[in-house]
Amino acid sequence: MRSLKTAALLAVAALTLTACGSGDGGDAASDGKVKLRFSYWGSDSRQKMTEQAIAAFEKKNPTIDVVGEFSDWQSYYESLATKVAAGDAPDVMTLEIRGLAEYAGRGALTDLAGKVNTADLDQSILPAGQVDGKQYAIPTGVNVFAMLASKSILDKAGQELPDDKTWTWDDYIKLSAKISEAGKGEYYGTEYTSNNPAYLTIFAAQRGEKFYDNGKIGLTPDTLKAWWANFTNLIETKGSPDASKMNEIIAAGQEQSLIATNKGAFGMWWSNQLGAMVKSSGQEDLSLLRLPKTADAQSGGLFLQPAMHWTISSKTEHPAEAQKFVDFLLNDPEAGGILLSDRGLPINSKVLAAIKDKLPPADQKSLAFIDSVKSELTPVIVPPKGGSKMEDIIKRYTEAVTAGQQTPDEAATKFLEEANAAISG
Amino acid sequence: MVDSLSLKKPVVTAPAPQNGSRQAVNRSRRETLAAYTFLAPWFVGLFLITIGPIVASFYLSFTDYSLLEEAKWVGLENYTHLFTENPRFWTSLKVTGIYVLVSVPLQLGFALGLALMLDRGLRGLSFYRSIYYLPSLLGGSVAIAILWRKIFGADGLINGLLALFGIQGTSYVNDPDTALGTLVLLHVWTFGAPMVIFLAGLRQIPSSYYEAAAMDGAGVIQQFKSITLPLLTPIIFFNLVLEVIKSFQSFTQSFIVSNGSGGPNDSTLFYTLYLYTKGFKDYEMGYASAMAWVLVVIIAGLTGVNFLASKYWVFYGDSK
Amino acid sequence: MATASSRNPFLYRRRISRGAKHLLLIGFGLIMLYPLLWMISSSLKPEELIFREPGLLPSKVTFDNYTEGWSALAHPFGYYLWNSAVITALSVVGNLAACSLAAYAFARLNFPLQKLWFALMLGTIMLPLHVVIVPQYIMFSQLDMINTIWPLILPKFLAHDSFFIFLMVQFIRTLPRELDEAASIDGAGYWRTFFRVILPLCTPALATTAIFTFIWTWNDFFSQLLYLNNPDNFTVPVALRTFLDSSGESSWGPMFAMSIIALGPIFGFFLAGQKYLIRGMATTGLK
Repeated sequence: MRSLKTAALLAVAALTLTACGSGDGGDAASDGKVKLRFSYWGSDSRQKMTEQAIAAFEKKNPTIDVVGEFSDWQSYYESLATKVAAGDAPDVMTLEIRGLAEYAGRGALTDLAGKVNTADLDQSILPAGQVDGKQYAIPTGVNVFAMLASKSILDKAGQELPDDKTWTWDDYIKLSAKISEAGKGEYYGTEYTSNNPAYLTIFAAQRGEKFYDNGKIGLTPDTLKAWWANFTNLIETKGSPDASKMNEIIAAGQEQSLIATNKGAFGMWWSNQLGAMVKSSGQEDLSLLRLPKTADAQSGGLFLQPAMHWTISSKTEHPAEAQKFVDFLLNDPEAGGILLSDRGLPINSKVLAAIKDKLPPADQKSLAFIDSVKSELTPVIVPPKGGSKMEDIIKRYTEAVTAGQQTPDEAATKFLEEANAAISG
Repeated sequence: MVDSLSLKKPVVTAPAPQNGSRQAVNRSRRETLAAYTFLAPWFVGLFLITIGPIVASFYLSFTDYSLLEEAKWVGLENYTHLFTENPRFWTSLKVTGIYVLVSVPLQLGFALGLALMLDRGLRGLSFYRSIYYLPSLLGGSVAIAILWRKIFGADGLINGLLALFGIQGTSYVNDPDTALGTLVLLHVWTFGAPMVIFLAGLRQIPSSYYEAAAMDGAGVIQQFKSITLPLLTPIIFFNLVLEVIKSFQSFTQSFIVSNGSGGPNDSTLFYTLYLYTKGFKDYEMGYASAMAWVLVVIIAGLTGVNFLASKYWVFYGDSK
Repeated sequence: MATASSRNPFLYRRRISRGAKHLLLIGFGLIMLYPLLWMISSSLKPEELIFREPGLLPSKVTFDNYTEGWSALAHPFGYYLWNSAVITALSVVGNLAACSLAAYAFARLNFPLQKLWFALMLGTIMLPLHVVIVPQYIMFSQLDMINTIWPLILPKFLAHDSFFIFLMVQFIRTLPRELDEAASIDGAGYWRTFFRVILPLCTPALATTAIFTFIWTWNDFFSQLLYLNNPDNFTVPVALRTFLDSSGESSWGPMFAMSIIALGPIFGFFLAGQKYLIRGMATTGLK
């Protein structure tokens, strides 16, 4: 009896199994179309937009079938690397500048120079996609790393919006302390960011140093110590919450940051995060400011960062179709009209002109900000192989210094040792 | 103790082989054949899908493998670097060791205690059981990370309570001194799985034993000591072995609460989290594989000790 | 055992201790329930209030997150529930069948190399998953199984999860061997002993296996993402993650709402399954 039942169950299972197997996926080559796999990460809203763009592309190119392989951010590189390792790389891949050298330096990407039309793109940003002189990637759009300031908190504390052309780190720390004092624990002057290399990059550039300089870390111990002094000063003067609370806020992510929860006047974020911040804080009057400078700064240090990169696998069986698709995403106003600023502000001047009025107010603001700082920008550096470890290293040493577990001297030495080792291997 | 309560039924012994070894040989041949038939799916799985990747990872542990290029043979380099030049390896071992040592006994104690309470004798037990299992259903979800911060964060529940007494606490999840402690609590809190296994184990104990014991005038505590505990030892042993293995491989808790960093300052850097970082974030899968095999040796060693020790305290119903 | 005079206080004491037990269980239960209550409350708040308003009671109740979440993705959420249900159901069947077979052999039969195979069986769960992901993916891709549900359920039908084998071995070993021997005298072979004696007596272990397989498969995120990367094949955990974007804008409200809905089936299965954590007939009837 029982064995019969089990056998029957197994049989049913086997049937269902084969049915599902044949129903799922499979290569859609039977209809004569070229199947192009395209991987990207993001959220549901990006997925919807992207699917629209894909549909528009397929309408123009009826012989190509683009399949979006979509994942959340946390697992994106893990699943992508697994596929690449298995020789099963998607044809078109979205990468970040951090991972670019890892992939390009290991021969996983195609040189796109001359294959994708870059005539209308902002030429100054193209080097952000180059590794060893080859154009392995093309930015999807750009951001700058800026200081977000909340007018309403400043008002509450009775402070003015600072002049970001002249303010120094000292000004910033003092102002933050004053705001925190007025806030009495209800709101703070600022939150700091320990996990974004952009902050350190900009700070170093103001002192005339490059983060990466000829295959080595170009930072001096003094710069590192001065940078950490910003953190410890903020904590000591109570301009920011204490170290453990800041660790908590940073781990919680953007939506639970002080700016987003309306509990802080300042915070450093990418310009394209402005829209999300406005939404979660409910404050329309967030503004973008230049980062403060060191007293004798040689430059403001801001740079244009590619939000993401389009790349094509070196193993693709359909290079022509893949190039066509990337070309469409970059240069076609229709694609631009669908994707808007979701992957950074477009770098194609024609596309940008066509969609400018359709952008939401926050993006208009970012655009205006980028235009206003355009003349002061420093070129972006593509992190070398091993550069993707940097975020962790910076965060870890900053945590050690802010918790008082290491002296800045000790941490600077060890940091340089570990960071240099990371990019040498 | 148990032997005295043993089955009150005439014990049937297996028919002794009547004449000579031929029947015995026949029988054992039949038994072997049966065993391998029962194991057939497992064998197919072992050789088709399980062994291959395991062997591959062993090979990779002797290579420099970035995932994006072919693996390059480097001999023992990964292992020597691990033991001699990598302080974070030791940190992660220490963190994991403490975690296992504290959280496994605590969690199993909780699970057993509640399983005993929820076994019988009260109304609405299935309701309680379900509620107590809930945390384990949510275990790995992002919501838990948020929640943990709400409880142990700077403005969390705990500090809210402390504030009533005028004490100002810190953010326990993100203080290097207390972060690991909160993860231990998280682990203990998701005791649902061992609890269910204990419950199932309690159901295997014949109620006749208890009736007999009660008749002999044994009290609750006496019954627990002489019936429940000994008869539950195989299940306790199972939970112990598996919890040790699983806790050494703990990953999710730290991954979601620390956002994948093992922070603050490596205080929650679980071994497997570090291994994961090496493999998928740093593109050093060969190195990660070496780490994995070091872990296998540690876990296998401990499991071996567990099995050896089990001879002294685990009682099986099938032992003679 | 109690005399008539001591009977009343005894009962009274028992009632008190019972009440205390209930109180304890309820109090502790609240701690256990807190996360769920919090998630439900968050799912009913307008999205922008979820993090700004920390309290458990929403100041404004809305079902928008549910309606929005249900239809936020490429397919209605029910589609993903169905995808998950198919994989989960097959996994449960697979694990129950394959693991119980293997467990019987390990627990009750004597055969050459038994110890070696047993050690190997346990050994396979000692290797951290992360280092076998890539070789496993390569293997399944060579078997041409990517984007099918095979890589997710085939291992279940081939007793890949030693946890359950070991679990059932331990349960079978708590059963007195006399039972098998009695069956053997009645002329039952190994198969009949297995189906007629061992399996029915292992109901609690089988229920445990079914419950855990269901829950773990239902929540298993990464392998489902990896092997079913076409959005049409997405399962519940994968779909839930798409609400979150750590680099951009997350839809926390719909995520919580759909998480609550996704909890339904596992909670239901747990409720149904725990009824089978019952005393087997032999353990009650054996005397």
